Amino acid sequence: MLDSMREWGLFLLRRFAFFLIALFGVSVITFVVTHKIGNPVYLLVGTRYNQEMLDNIVREIGLDRPLHEQYLRYAGNLLQGNLGTSRFSYNPVLFDIRNRLPATLELSTWALAMGVVWAVPAGVLAALRPRGMLARFADLMARTGVSMPGFWLGLLLIFIFFAELHWFPAPLGRIARSLGPPEYVTGWYTIDTLLAGDHASFASSVSHLILPALTLAITTSPSTLQITRKRMQEVLQSDYIRSARAFGLPTHKVYRYALRNTLGPVITMIAMTYGYLLSGTVLVEVVFTWPGLGLYAVDAMNHSDYEPIMGVVLLSSGFYLLVYLASDIINALFDPRVRIEG
Amino acid sequence: MNATAGEPTVAQRPTLMQRMMRANGAMRVRLNFGLLALIILLGLLAPLLPLHDPVRPNPLHRFKPPSVEHPFGTDGNGMDVLSRTIHAIRTDFALALSSVALGIIVGAPLGALSGYFGGRLDGAITRVTEVFQGFPQILFGMAVLAAAGNNMVNLVLIIAFYNVPVYSKMVRSVTLPLREADFVQAARVAGNSPLSVVFRHVLPNTLVPVFSQLPLSCAYAAQMIAGLSFIGLGVAIPTPEWGSMIQLGANQMVFGKWWASIFPGLALFISVWLLNNVSDLFGSLVVRRG
Repeated sequence: MLDSMREWGLFLLRRFAFFLIALFGVSVITFVVTHKIGNPVYLLVGTRYNQEMLDNIVREIGLDRPLHEQYLRYAGNLLQGNLGTSRFSYNPVLFDIRNRLPATLELSTWALAMGVVWAVPAGVLAALRPRGMLARFADLMARTGVSMPGFWLGLLLIFIFFAELHWFPAPLGRIARSLGPPEYVTGWYTIDTLLAGDHASFASSVSHLILPALTLAITTSPSTLQITRKRMQEVLQSDYIRSARAFGLPTHKVYRYALRNTLGPVITMIAMTYGYLLSGTVLVEVVFTWPGLGLYAVDAMNHSDYEPIMGVVLLSSGFYLLVYLASDIINALFDPRVRIEG
Repeated sequence: MNATAGEPTVAQRPTLMQRMMRANGAMRVRLNFGLLALIILLGLLAPLLPLHDPVRPNPLHRFKPPSVEHPFGTDGNGMDVLSRTIHAIRTDFALALSSVALGIIVGAPLGALSGYFGGRLDGAITRVTEVFQGFPQILFGMAVLAAAGNNMVNLVLIIAFYNVPVYSKMVRSVTLPLREADFVQAARVAGNSPLSVVFRHVLPNTLVPVFSQLPLSCAYAAQMIAGLSFIGLGVAIPTPEWGSMIQLGANQMVFGKWWASIFPGLALFISVWLLNNVSDLFGSLVVRRG
């Protein structure tokens, strides 16, 4: 008991230390990009300036200080949640991000759910019957999804299902403009409209969500499908499954054992997909004018305003690392070996 | 038994292609390599083909649907979509290949050094690699291009930067078992300096897996280049490039004018598909070897 607590403690400590180091690495990279590659002075002065103004700003934001001092100042600001101010919305970047985060989270979560619901069962079934119809179809879908540029697939779906068939609304945001957003509770329109009991708004938010979520599900689910299939195949051929079969265990029990041992890498892959999605939605958000973080970053870029972009980069890397940490912990719950070795 | 007159009687080592065909079926190998070669050939020969000028706008022929004169229609500037789609092969393949090559040149030696020497250097390189894998690549690309200047050179550098950890990680994993291989130990005993062992003896033996990864990286790079160009970064109009072409036609999709975006996207999709398949085919060799 005491041993296993110690084991857990050490494991969590190690993983958390790695998380912090990685986060530090990310902040160093964003610092180098903003302070060394780009020159923040020009962003602050705008287009009309003279030498005196430049010098003043250099002194004011500390660019004449030694590098480590500049970094500490930058990191200190980050820790206080100060990500700078957007020059085109005039809001603090953190404020804008908080407003737009739910849109991206809602989209990526639904996309992830749609992908997992299809990819995991398909991967398992494909492993059980490698030459069956479903295995071939799954393989085709995976290859298509991997090779298809998401933004183009989105446009294709818009053309087919909006322009030609009129099954879905115009790709303009999260809900019909005439209905307006629901009262803010979670920021997820599909939930808030239900909480408000407004069925028309709920239907509208769902129909706005389906195409972009489907686009992302198609392009991001192949990795989950492939890893489920590959892992399940490996497990089915392993010694312990062969012994279980030889001992005459009923098939469904054998499959249950196999499935349990397949889960680890699958969970990691799902987590990584989720982490990827938060920033991977950028282009799809642009295509569907989905007012999330990605569209925010692109809008900022078009206004030569890059504090918001760096804010979104930091946030999504942090989110990715956090999801990665969570998947390690979930894996350790399932598999004691991970706690000791990892 | 199969030997006919004129053929050497000594058993020949099967060529790379023959081994690949044996493992995957001749048809699949021929089809994938043939189509990919065709696309590359089309790109190389583009200036010689009887096509419209890919960068000449024609205000009188904007968004014309496909016709005999313009088989893929025209885009918002009245430029011929077919000609631009074919010329874009040059842009996209050249950019993708150079960014991946640059990534290999930096990443492979790093990985070999890291795997061969192990210890602290190895730990540090592995950690850095892990951090990069979680990086939001499109967003980060946007930030760097916005800060450092929006041009093709920076686009290539950014994508090369993403490829470095891919190759350092792969070469490292191939190097680890090579450390104890007889020929490496022999080279060491013969008095070669550690660096020369790494670069003369270890690194050349990691090339097969590196080349099997190459088409896959190119596929990814092409998607990245198109994606960034789609939001106006990297390659600008009028240079023919699939991503910026898709962008140019994107607004018209909702009105049912599909050709300006669909054709370049299809070309990108097919190229990436073929590159992925070819990488799989090479991969089957690596697995069989190991």
